[in-house]
Amino acid sequence: MNHIPMRMHAPAIRPQKMTRRALAKQQTREKVLQAARDLFIERGYEGATIRDIARAAGMSTGAVFASFADKNELFDAILNDDFAELAEPMRDAITGAVTARDALVGMFGAAYRAHSSQLPLIQAALAASWTRTPEAERLRRESMRPIRSLVSDVLDRAVERGELNQRFDLRLIAEMIWDMFLAGYRPAAFDGLSVENQTEKLAERIDVILSAIKA
Amino acid sequence: MGVRETQKLETRRKVLESARDLFNEIGYEETTIRAVAERAGVSVGSVFTTFASKAEVLSQVMDDRVEALQVELERVAKHMRGSTLDRLCSLFAIHYDFECRRVRLFLAHIAASYSPSLDGGTVPYGRNAQFRTMILDMLAEGVERGEVCKNADLELTLDTLMAAYAWNYRLAACDGADHAALTSIMDRQIRLIFSGLEPR
Repeated sequence: MNHIPMRMHAPAIRPQKMTRRALAKQQTREKVLQAARDLFIERGYEGATIRDIARAAGMSTGAVFASFADKNELFDAILNDDFAELAEPMRDAITGAVTARDALVGMFGAAYRAHSSQLPLIQAALAASWTRTPEAERLRRESMRPIRSLVSDVLDRAVERGELNQRFDLRLIAEMIWDMFLAGYRPAAFDGLSVENQTEKLAERIDVILSAIKA
Repeated sequence: MGVRETQKLETRRKVLESARDLFNEIGYEETTIRAVAERAGVSVGSVFTTFASKAEVLSQVMDDRVEALQVELERVAKHMRGSTLDRLCSLFAIHYDFECRRVRLFLAHIAASYSPSLDGGTVPYGRNAQFRTMILDMLAEGVERGEVCKNADLELTLDTLMAAYAWNYRLAACDGADHAALTSIMDRQIRLIFSGLEPR
């Protein structure tokens, strides 16, 4: 069995040289994001106003609105960043996994672990995500694409190895597994499951799906 | 029943009806308790004497809907024929058909179940005992009929089905998928899960 480390496919990102103005803008944006993140964690989404966030970031409300149209957009930006940052730990978890199950459970477990310290924030964001605009949803899908595609990669390789049956609709399966992953944030909210329990529960559901398509 | 009791029930009914319509029309987030009170023609204070929070109102609205759906299901269930797989597909199809009539309301219901600050007085999505029992019974019957492997973990199968069912609403939330589209994808998912449950 030959495993090509996924990392090799990752594009090398070289930050371009920025003008001073663009740099200042980005710094403002990051300051706002950090202040918002802290306040959302502390007070929840409803409890943090744009005014509070501006104050905590040490700037005017107008300066916040120059970077973000409204609180929703700010919140989405935080969530999208948090999911984008999962790419690395998830890829790492896949490297070395022998079976599709190990790879999937490993990468999603890594994601749950990475999010465990700010679970309420992620949950609030997921709750909000059900009632967003199509444009916000498009942006979210865009930000999740790199990690979403990891699921398909794992399944594809398992089919190549002859571990999974190729006569099934892999796209449907990849989407189901992805949904199970996101659904896994919910019982944690309700039952206060630990990261291990959360991952274990997801693993069981993944088994239900994989047992259907075993070669 | 005393006049006061009757009045109280009438207020409750009006509040729930107004909330149901507002949640569906303008969305849960945008709906304020004040707007609900205004539409119901009652005072804001009287809403709060009946319900502790907006989340509780939503939970109660959904609970009332469950009864209507339950009636519909029981009416249809008697006539359901075919394999366990077919009947499960029908069961979920009825759910999609019912919930898509007020789909934004149901989206708010699913959304609430992810909220980190769930109120104690609410029944979030997936916690309704009646539905769970109904599907579990169907699966158990499938085992008796020899259509489902007797070693299958039925609770786990149920949870997996319920998660798939809920997350398909995602397509309604962002792609405007209707009940037929949701049903067709759910059919495929049930079929898939069932192929792993076949007796060996």
